[in-house]
Amino acid sequence: MPASPTATGPAGSVSPEVLAAVFSAAAAGDGPALLVAETVEGTPRVTWANEGAVRLLGTAAGDLRGLPVGELVPALAAGELAVLLRREHASRLALRVRTGGGLVDAVVRAAPAPSGSAWTLAVVPADAGTDRVSRATADAAERRFATLTERSPIPTLLSEQGMRLAHVNDAFCRLAGRPAADMLGTGWTGAVHPDDLGAVIEVVAAVLEGEDGEVRARLVRADGAERVTVMRFGYVFTPGAGSGFLGTVEDVTDRLAFEARLAHQASHDPLTGLPNRTLLDQHLATRFAATGSSTGGRLACLFLDLDDFKVVNDSLGHEAGDELLVEVAGRLRATVRPGDLVARFGGDEFVVVCEDVDEADAAALAERIVAALAVPVHLAGVRFRPHASVGVTVQAPEHADAADLVRDCDIAMYQAKAGGKGRVRVLDRCGRAEARDKLQLVADLRDAIERREVTLHYQPIVSAADGSLEAVEALARWHHPVRGPISPEVFVALSEESGLVGPLGLLVLDEACRQVVAWDRDLGDLAPPRINVNVSALQLDGGLRAEVLAALHRHGLAPARLSIEITESALMTDPAAARGVLQELRDLGVAVAIDDFGTGYSSLAYLRHLPVDCLKVDRSFVAELAEGHPQIATAVIALARSLGLSTVAEGVATPGQAAALTALGATYLQGFSLAVPMDGATTATWAGAR
Amino acid sequence: MTALSLGAPPAVDLDRLLAGIDTLATQRPVAAQVVAVANAEDASARTLAGVLAADVALSGRVMKLANSAYFGMSGRATTLQFAITVVGFTAVRTMATVALTCLDDESQLPDGFWESSTAVALAASVLAPRFGSRSQDALCLGLLAQVGVALLHADDPAGYRELAAAHRPFAARRAAEVARYGISALRLSAVALGQWGFPPAMVAPLAAVDDPTSADGALLRVAFEVGARCTDPAHASEPVQRLSRGLLGEEGVAAVLQQVRDAAEDLRRAVVGDQTTTAAGVPSSGTPAAVSCCRAQPV
Repeated sequence: MPASPTATGPAGSVSPEVLAAVFSAAAAGDGPALLVAETVEGTPRVTWANEGAVRLLGTAAGDLRGLPVGELVPALAAGELAVLLRREHASRLALRVRTGGGLVDAVVRAAPAPSGSAWTLAVVPADAGTDRVSRATADAAERRFATLTERSPIPTLLSEQGMRLAHVNDAFCRLAGRPAADMLGTGWTGAVHPDDLGAVIEVVAAVLEGEDGEVRARLVRADGAERVTVMRFGYVFTPGAGSGFLGTVEDVTDRLAFEARLAHQASHDPLTGLPNRTLLDQHLATRFAATGSSTGGRLACLFLDLDDFKVVNDSLGHEAGDELLVEVAGRLRATVRPGDLVARFGGDEFVVVCEDVDEADAAALAERIVAALAVPVHLAGVRFRPHASVGVTVQAPEHADAADLVRDCDIAMYQAKAGGKGRVRVLDRCGRAEARDKLQLVADLRDAIERREVTLHYQPIVSAADGSLEAVEALARWHHPVRGPISPEVFVALSEESGLVGPLGLLVLDEACRQVVAWDRDLGDLAPPRINVNVSALQLDGGLRAEVLAALHRHGLAPARLSIEITESALMTDPAAARGVLQELRDLGVAVAIDDFGTGYSSLAYLRHLPVDCLKVDRSFVAELAEGHPQIATAVIALARSLGLSTVAEGVATPGQAAALTALGATYLQGFSLAVPMDGATTATWAGAR
Repeated sequence: MTALSLGAPPAVDLDRLLAGIDTLATQRPVAAQVVAVANAEDASARTLAGVLAADVALSGRVMKLANSAYFGMSGRATTLQFAITVVGFTAVRTMATVALTCLDDESQLPDGFWESSTAVALAASVLAPRFGSRSQDALCLGLLAQVGVALLHADDPAGYRELAAAHRPFAARRAAEVARYGISALRLSAVALGQWGFPPAMVAPLAAVDDPTSADGALLRVAFEVGARCTDPAHASEPVQRLSRGLLGEEGVAAVLQQVRDAAEDLRRAVVGDQTTTAAGVPSSGTPAAVSCCRAQPV
């Protein structure tokens, strides 16, 4: 805007017309309150007032004239008038001005005339000032908020600015266990756990920049008790004050405790309170990874299996068994080092995991455990001395993961148990190599079964009376592609240990049936009349009948063409169950023979009730014939005859034995002197040539 | 020559003193701009940070203030804009005003000026909710309440020192100030703050300090009393029950004193920087120290 002489120049340069126009406007009734003051006899006095001033001050213009300015603004002492009525500068003061209606808050502006002894005063009442109104509005809003939250059950904080609280409600004071006076300003930060304060400030800092945020933090009550809370903050902007937050605080202590209880239940054995297998696996995985690094120490794993636990359970009851487990758990905890983990692996099995130990340390710990467990305990009034077999393994480079470690100490435990009760066995490098080797063999066996690379050989069983072919016994053979022939004693035992006995048994049964049908087709009447198939004790479950039936159906073979051989010791594992299974087979029309008879300590009375057709005299008794000890073979053959059963003498190695057994009354003979085991084709040739 | 008759010849020419304040703005343009921007209705923290960043010393103090115990951010305020958000515009304007009036040069101030001012400010802030006031405003007002003291002292060092020593109770000192200068230091503070555009609501307690019916006045009276108990071993205590119109009893004073002591030094360092408190030396020159120190600085 261009400067004009009237605006900037001395009044003298303004024309009388302009001055008259300005004066007229200033004097008008609807303008602001204007006064002119001049120093009269040393005192500033009002010399002129416009209509606005008369209206505002409620004093007639005539009465205003001559009034000392000091009386208009009584808040200013006489000497202080100088701050309003300055010589060269305009001033602006918020003052109380005396009016007809009393003192009124106003903003008074004073502009000096060039002379320095006269001033123009403009008085604007402050009542309508936006500052006061907005301040009052804000204060009212804050009071409403305070009223609203005061009795709210939700702990609530209101920051006036930054971290500083302007307001906390009763619920928050109760939660923090401190009076409100201690919480205002930054006082509340004293109630936040020192370890959590950093996170709280971090979140508040983000909230002050306009985000929402929440943080879990502990509050420390005045009495020292801790409460875990989730603090949620929202951004609040207060005009004139700045950025703050509104916070609500949720006490999650009880919920967390409940969740912790649930988590504990999920990871601990309810009976003994020990970590369960889930937690063991987690712990091992974590520690295995940590110790795998260069700084970590080696892990050791002890696998314990209580000896005779089944006896306790069966004889003293499950409550006594549980009592024993609890007692053992307590002793284990008391025996291991602080920081070692004791877990209940399942049943009567426990695992101890320790760190930074070598084999000697771990073995020493195992011995300590065995000794601690061996202290007698009274269960259901009976004194019992617990024993455990302990397998020990220390982490080695060969262990790819934690599961390897557990598997190795499990193996070691079985080795310990195989050596007798209450023993410790450390699976060292050599033992581990053997175990690995065995594992590999199991894997190979699994593959071999799947690919039907386990084949059958057949050893003829002939009539003692006339040498006619009565049956063949199917014998499983495994030719390992690298290791060559594997003894059936090895791989059958392996299959039983590794859960492969089922598939192996099915393979043998199926192949045997298939072969008989093939022989029938090729040899007609010359085909072997019957085939004997061996069954493991582990196959004597409810499924055997169905499997036999399926195999017979699959190949269209008559049940009478099949005989199932089962060892005497297998029968004695669970005599009642065995009897049921054998009965089912007999009901199908399948014959049943007891293998290795005389080696299994079976009760003769019990034998009488077993549904069997034939006893096979064990080869050891046949061998004794040559040594002049025919007693047992004689007795077995006589026993069978008296029970109406046929007999097969196994392991007949010489014509002399054959003759002797025939003389003793053996029904059938089987052995090298008669025929060696042959594959299917050779057997066919052998049978066809007779 | 003065156009006004002020009764007894005043030791200072008020008009000249006020004129001096007006010229200060030209000496610290950034601080003056901060004051102006912080006053603006539409000011944002970003705008203010943009202006403030040009004055490194002042920016540093605002950062320090945001991270001080009083605001509780414990070093999390790492940007100027965020620091402004934390402390608020009024506090930024207060800091700028301190710089503008060279109140950050303790060598030119009465002994213990900032020890006293920070204690008064913290006491006012702590007590504000009890008196229905805002802690933030009370803090800023407390920091600047004694601007008038600094101005009078700068103009008349020896005289003011003598006056302050002779009249220890606050009411008596105010009366003596009026007698000697025609205006009390608190009123001078109010005038100065009003001139610099601080909101009337914030400045009002300065005028109400002698009004026994005013809550604002009571807050300031008690804050001065608590501040004196904190910092002046020779202070003769006045009963807070009376000063506070019954809003605070003696039993509540100890906790307030503790809070003030805990945060005072931290706040002082933030407001005036890390300079050491000067010895009792008072400049002999009659030139207002506030003006002289600002002129000594390159702009």
